[in-house]
Amino acid sequence: MKDSDVIVLEEPKLSLGDQFYIPQVLNGLGTTMKHMFRVLGGKDRVVQYPEEKREDLAIEKGGMLTRTYRGVHRLNKDEEGRVKCVACFMCSTACPARCIHIEADESPWADREKYPAKFDIDELRCIYCGMCEEACPVDAIELTHVYDIVGLTRQEMIFDKSKLLQVYDETVKNEPM
Amino acid sequence: MMDTLKDWLFWIPAWFWITLVVHFTILGTVAYLILLERKVASWVQDRIGPNRVGFDFGLPFLWFLKGMNGLGQPLADGLKFIFKEDYRPGGVDKILFTLAPGIMILTIIISIAAVPWGGIKQSTRAIDLGVNDTSAPVPADQLTAAAQKKLPPGEVVYGVPTPADQPGTYNVTFRYSFQIADLDIGVLFILATLSLAVYGVVIGGWASNNKYSFLGGLRATANMISYEVPLGLAVLTIVLMYGTLDLGTIVEKQAWMWHGIIPAWNIFTQPLAFLMFLVCIHAEANRAPFDLAEAEQELVGGYHTEYSSMRFALFFLAEYAGMLTTSAVCVALFFGGWHFPGLTGNTDPNNPAVTSHLLIAIVRCVVFFVKTLLIIFVFMWVRWSLPRFRFDQLMGLAWRALIPMSLVILFATAVVIYFFGHDRALMRVGGKMGLILLAANVVTLIVFFGAYLLLPAPPPTNRRIRIPGSRFNPEPALSA
Repeated sequence: MKDSDVIVLEEPKLSLGDQFYIPQVLNGLGTTMKHMFRVLGGKDRVVQYPEEKREDLAIEKGGMLTRTYRGVHRLNKDEEGRVKCVACFMCSTACPARCIHIEADESPWADREKYPAKFDIDELRCIYCGMCEEACPVDAIELTHVYDIVGLTRQEMIFDKSKLLQVYDETVKNEPM
Repeated sequence: MMDTLKDWLFWIPAWFWITLVVHFTILGTVAYLILLERKVASWVQDRIGPNRVGFDFGLPFLWFLKGMNGLGQPLADGLKFIFKEDYRPGGVDKILFTLAPGIMILTIIISIAAVPWGGIKQSTRAIDLGVNDTSAPVPADQLTAAAQKKLPPGEVVYGVPTPADQPGTYNVTFRYSFQIADLDIGVLFILATLSLAVYGVVIGGWASNNKYSFLGGLRATANMISYEVPLGLAVLTIVLMYGTLDLGTIVEKQAWMWHGIIPAWNIFTQPLAFLMFLVCIHAEANRAPFDLAEAEQELVGGYHTEYSSMRFALFFLAEYAGMLTTSAVCVALFFGGWHFPGLTGNTDPNNPAVTSHLLIAIVRCVVFFVKTLLIIFVFMWVRWSLPRFRFDQLMGLAWRALIPMSLVILFATAVVIYFFGHDRALMRVGGKMGLILLAANVVTLIVFFGAYLLLPAPPPTNRRIRIPGSRFNPEPALSA
């Protein structure tokens, strides 16, 4: 290494107050005390999560726009209550995380050739990028705004077709297709 | 029946009860100090802190104990520590690894013994002394000796026993200190035991067979060696002023009001010594900004990296118990201990520590304790305000600033005492010497800062050191 390669940084010059520590220390203590009084006066910045949710709060009070949030998937139904999916495999092809597993079968209905006999999404593998939603030619798969999904086992977090259709039933009122 | 029980209870010495109460109070307080620390951290950071765990244990009929602003958190933490796996990594020194947390908590709990919580309690009691009740009066020294034998250990007869109603019984006035151990060398004892606590850190760091732990232990040693010196010198100024090492006496000398307004606490006569003492006990308790021994950002966890479960909890408790002891010493030395305006003894104006009411003694303990908690709050406040010192800054602060400054203030105090120190009662606030001492403090501060500006600048900290022969250095090795 040559001397010309070295960038020598000068330490910032300390003022007299910095050198004697005490004035700057008192300054810092004052700042933190100010914050303590602010919290004890009720001006904290805490959202009490399960009772208070960010989507219910105003943006300036720490709220969140769920309109643009990509949460758990759902499988949409058509007007007759049948699954919209035609098992074209576009979504599972587009999926970068390889978390969608579809088994196609011959459709029992006259207006389409195939339908998904099985449709599993591993919600733990999913990276919630929304590529499946983009790829779907019939708008069958969609990401909802639901973010608080939990489970006790890994098996529980693999959502099958019935579960995904159930998510549709639960969210269709708030988030129409 | 009741009388026998009372007599039997009387035979248990007072320090036994005080020990029980103090021990359980300290351990309980330490658990809640951890909650307080988390709360203070939250407040500084605009948060609320733990506020969910109450004492309802999930039972619906205990709904009124739910939440409680997080008061159940220490219990939950303790249970968690007990039930966690006690993991011991391979390659550790088994005996020392187990011993280290024990050494630390033991020394710190022992050091609490010499703290004078409530002054001196004086009681009078009719006791059958068993001396021959003849017509001739019994000599006074014989009466005192007989009464002393009838008292439980640690309690001292005061004055001559006087005859009571029943023949053979005498009213015995006796005194005992409202503390665990009334030591004449209380200050020395606390300093000695507190500095032993660093052995727990060093041994734990060494026995862990881990580089980070070892570095933490080494840093703790260097830290301790540097800061023991100004700590001792700051304490010495107070010891010089009163000419005693007994913490109880030091507190008693401060139990006095100047013109009924300002309490004669040492912080007003020796503010500089107090400041140095405060800085040093931060280092002594291994607290931020001097917590290099457990610097999380550099050393993973420092000396307790390899510890888990209850062993880690003991280290954790020891840190907070250490804060409690050092704060208690700070209160005793600089904030008048149990003294609060109005709380002086009721028996002898020249001896304000002596009280004959149990209630006053207990209120004094509470006052002492509240003062201690306030100092502990300062500890936490400082921890969440200041960044950690770099190691060379730490050493520079001790050796370039605190030690010379404490030597100068000790010298100034000694000079004042040599010329005017014939009456030590004058040493306190309002007394002539008190003012002179305060002036000496201020002059010392000004002189010291003035001298600091004239000193040559310290060497730059970011020097480039060329290592001959290094592949980063174009110069050839010296031997070549």
